[in-house]
Amino acid sequence: MKKFLSVVSYVLLLCFLLTAFAACVNNGDTTDQLVVYNWADYIYDYEDDFKTYYKEVTGRDIDITYVTFDTNETMLTRLTQGDSNVDVVCPSEYAIQKLIESNMLVPLNYFDKEAYTASFGSAVTGYVHNSGNIEEGIIDKVSDAFGNLVIGETGETVSMVNYFVPYMYGTLGILYNKYAFEELGIYDADIMNNANWGILFNDDGSGNLLSEGLTGNILMKDSIRDSYAATIFYMLESGKLDGLRNDDGVLYTDLSAGELINAVDDQLLEIVRDVLSEQKQQLFGYEVDFGKDDLLQGNAIVDLAWSGDALYAVEESWDDELGEDGDYELAYYVPHSTGNIWFDGWVVPKTYNPTHLTAIKLFINFLNTPESAAENFMEIGYTPAIRPDVLQNSDEARSVLSEGYLVYDPEYWDVVDESGNSLTVEECDYASWEEFVEYFFDGIDDIDGSNWRYPFLSAELNSSNDRNIDSLGVMRDFGSKNKAVITTWNYARSAGTTALPLLGWTVLAVAVAVGVLFLYILIKRLLSQRVILPKDSNDEQSDA
Amino acid sequence: MKKKFKFRFSRKALAYPYMLFLLLFVVVPLVIILINAFLGDDGGLTLANFAEFFSDAGGGLTVLGNSLIIGAVTTLICLVIGYPCAYLLAKYHASSKVFVLLFILPMWVNFLIRTLSTKAIFMAIGVKLGMGTVLFGMVYNYLPYMILPLHTTLVSIDHSYIEAAEDLGADKLTVLRKTIIPLSMPGIVSGITMTFIPAISTFAISEILSSSKIFLFGDAINMHFSKTTNSFGVGSVMSLVMLVLVIVANVITSLTSKDEEVSSVL
Repeated sequence: MKKFLSVVSYVLLLCFLLTAFAACVNNGDTTDQLVVYNWADYIYDYEDDFKTYYKEVTGRDIDITYVTFDTNETMLTRLTQGDSNVDVVCPSEYAIQKLIESNMLVPLNYFDKEAYTASFGSAVTGYVHNSGNIEEGIIDKVSDAFGNLVIGETGETVSMVNYFVPYMYGTLGILYNKYAFEELGIYDADIMNNANWGILFNDDGSGNLLSEGLTGNILMKDSIRDSYAATIFYMLESGKLDGLRNDDGVLYTDLSAGELINAVDDQLLEIVRDVLSEQKQQLFGYEVDFGKDDLLQGNAIVDLAWSGDALYAVEESWDDELGEDGDYELAYYVPHSTGNIWFDGWVVPKTYNPTHLTAIKLFINFLNTPESAAENFMEIGYTPAIRPDVLQNSDEARSVLSEGYLVYDPEYWDVVDESGNSLTVEECDYASWEEFVEYFFDGIDDIDGSNWRYPFLSAELNSSNDRNIDSLGVMRDFGSKNKAVITTWNYARSAGTTALPLLGWTVLAVAVAVGVLFLYILIKRLLSQRVILPKDSNDEQSDA
Repeated sequence: MKKKFKFRFSRKALAYPYMLFLLLFVVVPLVIILINAFLGDDGGLTLANFAEFFSDAGGGLTVLGNSLIIGAVTTLICLVIGYPCAYLLAKYHASSKVFVLLFILPMWVNFLIRTLSTKAIFMAIGVKLGMGTVLFGMVYNYLPYMILPLHTTLVSIDHSYIEAAEDLGADKLTVLRKTIIPLSMPGIVSGITMTFIPAISTFAISEILSSSKIFLFGDAINMHFSKTTNSFGVGSVMSLVMLVLVIVANVITSLTSKDEEVSSVL
């Protein structure tokens, strides 16, 4: 045992020395530091641009440590365990709520320009909020949806918008193969707008099958939150909630979209469970990130998707042979009845390194300049939280977008292909900036009557019908109901699969095999006995 | 009298790093799973996780049943296909090195890539993904684990036993039944364990080859531990159930198998 202890102590000593050495190396650096904790693939190749920007504003160099996570929960676990010293994090809205409630975030004060810019002078251009870069709809929506949050430990009431700077936002909707829909005869605004979320459940909106061809061709997301939201909306529009009341005696149908997706109770979960279990007969399967490929390869026709992923898939699906001069094979559909809108934003955890404060603020500010936003738009496909008119009117953003979308816009970029040859108007995808703007910022889809990139814009356009911004709900954390939701999801996922027929067939096969074997042995025995027994008598007979 | 401790380098000391490794990466995780199984949402001790699983509220028991059935059927099919293969490979030993290689070759390719390719082939020829494709994928993936121990045992059978049986007048079927199969029993048992245990805990194969439609016990555990759920309690209970199953399988193996060399392959 003693020996063992001494070995352990040697190892510990070694670890200690190594750590001390590593710390020394870090402290020896003269450049500024920043640790960014972000979703994987959720930023463009920003490093050089940011370093230049940082040098311009502060005159100093900076080193960025960039760490990624793949789900909000991974990030939450890491932050709550306090084992990482990250300076700036990009969670989704419900994770931000959780972080604020557990008293883990620093207020950003970005509404107060003086306080915000105090640490790096007022020379900052494109200042995050006061300059009006940020889409105000987001701020309003967040205030509406989350109201005032209470910090668990101190009991203090705070407003969520003071804690995060919006980064990206989008909607939940349906990605579908429009040519397959056309073949099935359901590529029609009226039919689809009747079905709404029912498309995912192969329901035409009145309880009948939308199309037999959809059966076995629908993909659902292997994600509880998104599938839950879609199911709840479907339940609402298909009348499954009519006449039902929640614990407070309020009709579910009287709740707003936001209230409804957050009203998680046992009664709702039971219906969700049944609806999801029943939906399984219509499904091709559940996808994590192969959805786009399955749609393009024709394995499935419909998929539940976020706007950014969907737009990316749509743009990837361009086929020169479709339509008259080529067309996108896929399309996105945001159901008209109700929907979900989500946001990701930058927050600063309390465990941040105070010497990095300037870098943190400049980083957030940098990401909200039109130029970075345009780069991110190109790279990620999600909509940056910058107002569309700010993007449109910014020369830098225009250069980036023109180059990315191959717009014939010689004043803003060189209009050359990858090998440096000049392109003519015909060779470009868009003949002019105006044509591009019409498609990108002002384009409205015929089927769902919305601009997929800008849900707030769409809501404004549709304010006359029921499809205004109120019909889009922001989803909060499941909170104490988390476990019940997981149980429901587990049940729904396991429903409809039974291996009993398999067992039956196997037992039958084994029985037949054993039977045949015994029969074979039996026949062989009998035969050999027959041969032996009469042999003697035969011999005798023949002798005689 | 005080004894002064002196670190003397003996051969035993060579095992310490590995013991430390075992302690850190085998014992500690198991203890963590055990603790998690009894932890409630609020961090207090509770049996709620067990109640949740064994009451079958989330369909966990159904999933377990399905997994056991699919695992057993996979093992049976592997045995039925694998035994003749291993027998033939062993019989034509001298010329069969290439063939043995052919059976092991798929194992050199990452199984995820193999499974994804299998899916692509099924989709290309228009086979509907479902129970059949999952079963195919499992048999395809676990067949080498059945063939290899069988082959090892069958090769090591002294041919003179078979000649003796034939000399004593046994026909081919009797030789197989009374000599070869009993002598290869350790290989059969270890092949069954090596196939059955991974087969009941598989998750990627069922996920890919049924587009996540068929939800097996491995998938359930995976779901509870990962992604957006963070429900470690019930997941830990499921892992413990799995562990018990593995132990039971191993006990049965060691009871039936008298040849320790082969069973120690595990």
